[in-house]
Amino acid sequence: MVPIYLFTILFVIFPLIYMIVLSFMSRAEVWGVVMDFTLDNYKKILEPLYLNTFKESLQLAFLSTSIIIFIGYPFGYYMGQLEDKWRKRMMLLIMIPFWTSSLIRLYGWIIMFRSNGVLDMVLMGLGITEKPLKLLYSYPAVATGMVYALLPFMILSVYSSVEKMDWSLVEAARDLGASRTKAFWTVTFPLTLPGLMSGVILTFIPSMGLFFIADILGGNKIVLVGSVIQEQLTKGRNLPFAAALSVILMVLTSILIRLYRKIFHTRNVEGLV
Amino acid sequence: MKKIAAILLGIMMVAGVLTGCGKNTTNDENGANQTTQEAAQTAEATAESTDSNTTALSGELNLYTWDGMFPQEVLDGFEEETGVKINYSNFDYDEDMLAKLEETKGGDYDLVIADDYIIELAIKEGLVQKLNKEQIPNFGNINPLFQSQFYDATNEYTVPYGSGIPLIVYDKEAVGFEIKSYEDLWNPALEDNLAIVGNYRVIDGITLKTLGESFNTEDLDTIQKAGDKLLELAPNIRLISDSNTQDYIVSGEVSAAFLYTSQVTQALEANPDLSVCYPSEGLGFGIMAGFIPSQAPNADAANAFLNYILQPEVSAKCFESIGYYCTTKAAEEFISPELKDTLVVPDTVTEGEIIQNISQEAEDLHSEIWKKFQEACD
Repeated sequence: MVPIYLFTILFVIFPLIYMIVLSFMSRAEVWGVVMDFTLDNYKKILEPLYLNTFKESLQLAFLSTSIIIFIGYPFGYYMGQLEDKWRKRMMLLIMIPFWTSSLIRLYGWIIMFRSNGVLDMVLMGLGITEKPLKLLYSYPAVATGMVYALLPFMILSVYSSVEKMDWSLVEAARDLGASRTKAFWTVTFPLTLPGLMSGVILTFIPSMGLFFIADILGGNKIVLVGSVIQEQLTKGRNLPFAAALSVILMVLTSILIRLYRKIFHTRNVEGLV
Repeated sequence: MKKIAAILLGIMMVAGVLTGCGKNTTNDENGANQTTQEAAQTAEATAESTDSNTTALSGELNLYTWDGMFPQEVLDGFEEETGVKINYSNFDYDEDMLAKLEETKGGDYDLVIADDYIIELAIKEGLVQKLNKEQIPNFGNINPLFQSQFYDATNEYTVPYGSGIPLIVYDKEAVGFEIKSYEDLWNPALEDNLAIVGNYRVIDGITLKTLGESFNTEDLDTIQKAGDKLLELAPNIRLISDSNTQDYIVSGEVSAAFLYTSQVTQALEANPDLSVCYPSEGLGFGIMAGFIPSQAPNADAANAFLNYILQPEVSAKCFESIGYYCTTKAAEEFISPELKDTLVVPDTVTEGEIIQNISQEAEDLHSEIWKKFQEACD
C-alpha cells in the first residue's frame, strides 16, 4: 500500500498544492514568479473576456458530449449484447486507433475536411454540392474532432455496464407485461446509468481542455480554456494566471460532477468519483 | 479481473489522448532532477577543463535551438574537424528555452540559438556569458546591419544567425488585385481567404503600422485603437497558425497569407507563381542569434562552433538550408544564384523595426486584444 500513497502524494497532491499556491502569486518582471500574495489572477478571470471563454468551452463540451451520448450509448448497448467472439472483435476495432497518436489521427480529419479534400470530392462527385465547401477551421469541424477523439470512452463505459447487467431482470419485466420500450426505460436504462454517467464525465471534462483539437481543426479561431492556459504558460509568460485558470477549471468540473450525482441520485459512477 | 483490465485500458486511452497536450508539463519536478544533473555536469566540466589545457577541444557540445536549424553536413563537418560531439536538442517556443535555462541556472547547454527579444531577457536574468572573441576570428564576417541591436548593443554576447521579415504572399489571380500594404489585407475581397501567423505582437504590430505607429508603442490608447481596427480584419481570416502556415497558400486553401520568412521561402519554392509584397507601411524585422549560457559546461566548444558557422562557405550552406535572410555578409557571394533573391537582404532594406519587449501593461493589452480577435474570427 505504501507505494500507492507515495505515488498519490508525489504525483497528485503535491502538484495540486503547487498549482494552488502558484495561483496566488504574482508574475516576476522578466520570467518566473515572485512570492507576493495576490488575488489579481482570480479577479482577472472575472473579466468578460475570460468568462466568455469559459462559457464557450462549456457550450462546446455540452454539444460534443450530447452527440457522444447519442452515438455512444446505443453503440455500447448493442455491443454489450453481442456474442463473445464478436464482442472481442469489436473491442479490438475500437482499440486499434489508440495505437497511433491522437494528433496524427486529427491530421487525418484535415485531409477529409479541407477544400477539395476527400469529403468535397465525394459531395461534388455525387452532384450534391457544386463548389468546395469550407468545412475546415469551423465550429462543426472542431465538434467533430471532439466527438471522434472522445467517443470510445463513452462506448466502453456503457459497454462495461451493459455487459454486467442481469438480463433476467428485463425478462421478468417483459413477463410481467411491460412493453419492450417500457422494460428498457424502467429496467435497462437505470441499470446502465452509472456507465453512461462515467462516460459523460470521461468525455465532458477532457473536451474543455483538449485545446489542440481546437487549434488544428479550428485554425486557432475557437478559443477554449485549455488554449488560454497554454498561451499564458508560453507566450504570455504568466504562470500564476495559468494556474488560477486551471484551479477554476477544476472547481467548475467538480461542481458539475456533483450536480450530475444530485440529478441522477447515484453515488456509483463506475467507481470514478 | 475484467474490471482491472478495463481500468488499465481506460488509463492507457486517457494517456493517449492527453499526450497531445503534453507539451507544457509543470517544470517543477524536472527542476529537482536537473539540479542533481547539473551538479554531475559541473563536476564533469571541471574534469574536462583540466583536460582542455592539454588538448584543444574535446567532449560534447550541447546545442539547444529549434528543430532543423542546421543542415546535417554542417554538424558533421564540425564534429569531424574538432572531434567534439554535438548533442542537438530542440524547443518549440522561446519561452520554453528561457524556462529551461532558468531551471538549470544557465547550465546544461553550451550554445543556444533563439529570438532577439528573449535574448534580451536572458541577458537581463544573468543567464548569458560573454563571447570569447579570440576564439571567434570570423566575427568580422557578420553583416553589421544585424549587429548592435537592442538586445546586445555592444555585440559582446551574441552572433546573429538568420533574420526574418514577415511578408505577405498571395495568389494574384485568386485575389484579383495587387496587395501593396498591410492595409490591403483589410480589403473585403479577401473574405475568409487569409491565413496569418499566430504571434500576437506581430499581428497587432502590423495593425499599429497601418495607423502609422510603432510596433513597440507603449501608449495604451494607441494599442487599443489598433485592437479595434484588428477586429475588422476578422471576417477575412480563414485560419491562424504558427507552424507550416505556407501549406495553406500552396494548397489553395487560402489566397493570401502573412508569413514568416522561412515560410515565404518555402511557399515560393513550392509555387514560384505566387506574388510577394513588401508592405509599404514599413517592415518588421526579427533576428535570431546564438549565445552561450552563463554556466555552459563546454564554452570553448561553443565559441569554436560559432566561429565554424561564420566561415563564408559554411554559413552560406546554413542559410540555404534554413531559408532565413543571411546575416553573414561574407557568405552572400557563396549563396547559389537561384536562392539569392530570397536569402540576401535586398539593398532597399536599410531599416526595419524590431519587435522589442514592452511594458507589462502594454503586453497584457496586446494579449487581451488578441483573444478578442480570435473570438471575433470564429
